[in-house]
Amino acid sequence: MSSGGCVDNPRVAADPPAIETEALTKRYGRHRGIEDVSFTVRPGEVFGFLGPNGAGKTTTIRTLLDLIHPTSGSARIFGLDSRRESVAIRARLGNLPGDFGFGREATGREAVRLLSRLRGLDGGARADELAQRFRADLDRPLGQLSRGNRQKVGLILAVFHRPELLVLDEPTSGLDPLMQEEFLALVAEERERGCAVFLSSHELDEVQRVCDRVGIVRGGRLIAVERMADLLGKARRRFSVELADPSRLERLRELPGVSDLELAGNRATFTAAGDLDAVVRELAGHHVVDLEATHPSLEEVFLGYYDEGEA
Amino acid sequence: MSARGGAPLGAQVAALVATHLSDRRRSVLAWGLPLGLMSSFIVAIYPSVEESLSKAIRGYPQGLKEAFGIGQLSNIEQYLHAEMLSLIVPLAMGYLAVRAIASGLTLAAESGRLDVLLSAPVSRSRVVLAGFLATAVELAVVLLVTGLLCGIGSLLAGSGLDASRAAAGFADVWPLALLFAGFAAIAAGFSLRTSVVTGSVAGLLVAMYVVDLVGRLDTGLSGLRYASVFKYYGNAIEDGIEPVAFLGVTLAACALAALGAWLFERRDLAA
Repeated sequence: MSSGGCVDNPRVAADPPAIETEALTKRYGRHRGIEDVSFTVRPGEVFGFLGPNGAGKTTTIRTLLDLIHPTSGSARIFGLDSRRESVAIRARLGNLPGDFGFGREATGREAVRLLSRLRGLDGGARADELAQRFRADLDRPLGQLSRGNRQKVGLILAVFHRPELLVLDEPTSGLDPLMQEEFLALVAEERERGCAVFLSSHELDEVQRVCDRVGIVRGGRLIAVERMADLLGKARRRFSVELADPSRLERLRELPGVSDLELAGNRATFTAAGDLDAVVRELAGHHVVDLEATHPSLEEVFLGYYDEGEA
Repeated sequence: MSARGGAPLGAQVAALVATHLSDRRRSVLAWGLPLGLMSSFIVAIYPSVEESLSKAIRGYPQGLKEAFGIGQLSNIEQYLHAEMLSLIVPLAMGYLAVRAIASGLTLAAESGRLDVLLSAPVSRSRVVLAGFLATAVELAVVLLVTGLLCGIGSLLAGSGLDASRAAAGFADVWPLALLFAGFAAIAAGFSLRTSVVTGSVAGLLVAMYVVDLVGRLDTGLSGLRYASVFKYYGNAIEDGIEPVAFLGVTLAACALAALGAWLFERRDLAA
């Protein structure tokens, strides 16, 4: 699904970056926040910010939004300084915080009304349209809603004003699979509209399906920025294959990128990294009874990346 | 649909104040009703206790009478001041002011609301300013409710409370309480924990009261009273509102809120 097309588009490339950070660093006394984080997100690009919990994703987002101030380095959004011009920046962005809340007694509609008034627009109709799409209840107090339903309200508040940049911190947490699909469709539509999306997640599957590029953050440092396709190429995937004739399963061991081969009867289980063409060609010559592929976990993606770096 | 610069200052502050007041609408009853009923009770029973009270007061130590502003209780206004306006109402309203500011800043930060608000094109100082203005309105409304209930009590009991003097007495609490809203804004500039903000400023409120009390009891320590806002509070129900003190304390409250907004603008709003 990811195309990476927006970064190659000359019209989009001529615009100032939606986000541009340079050696962005935040320290909390002796504690690490983020260190020397530099990346660029182009208008119309969906940029995944991938990392385990505590890696520095939320710290980066809060620094971009001027909720916390960087210790050093800088961030520019649409060419505007994230500190000095944060109000002007926020007029153009939508944000879904990682742990969305608006008080227990307020309703989603009250929140929409307040944010509409602060933004100087009437976003009620668009909010209703989104509420219908996500089956969100804007009229019940948020304290009476489940986490997933609150998250839907947060999502509506982030997008109802048609921002030019969407900053989403773990946006699908709590959403059921159907709504996750709807959310991914919405992100794709926003990209089509020209909106840049900065999507923080620790779910590789979510990032893989919608992002053009991905930044991997670990231990407060940005360790890689890759096109989605390149990242997946480095990821190690686990396969389990059952052949009608097991005598030739041993040949899998000789294929490039294949490791950890285990044989049991007619079934072989192995790990494959990088280009899968050789594996597919080899299997194509056999009667394949069953084939299972497991998505790599985030840690497996990291391992794939490190293996590549060491090679 | 995306508006480039957000709504104008006035519209943003009006929206924030309206939301703050809507969130705090219950406090008008939660604070105004008990204070008003208590005041009402005080003025209602005055005619029946007037005689015995005067006798009892004559036996009180002079220092105690001066400390609590009960030098004499020869009329209902003095009684209302001694029972309500010298201690209970100012302390309660000061604490209410702290809670109101905390509601708009620290509680909003704890609930995640502040993050959502600050996703919109509104500066933090506007959020603080709006919280302060809303608190000023909330205090005025609660004092109005308290005063009205007190007046109704007097009318029903035929106590003869002078309405304009009583109004001056209740109105004089407003700048004093607002000052603690200003202190709370400053405290929120240092800590986003509601318990820290309410605890520290409520402590300051009580400390200022005690300092003023000690200064009144011991003339040798009277200089301490300059450190307390209660020195400038006076006894408006008897002496009328002192305009310089009223305006001075109000301006001081605004200055503290402005300093609080400046601090809040510069602090990290950690997750």
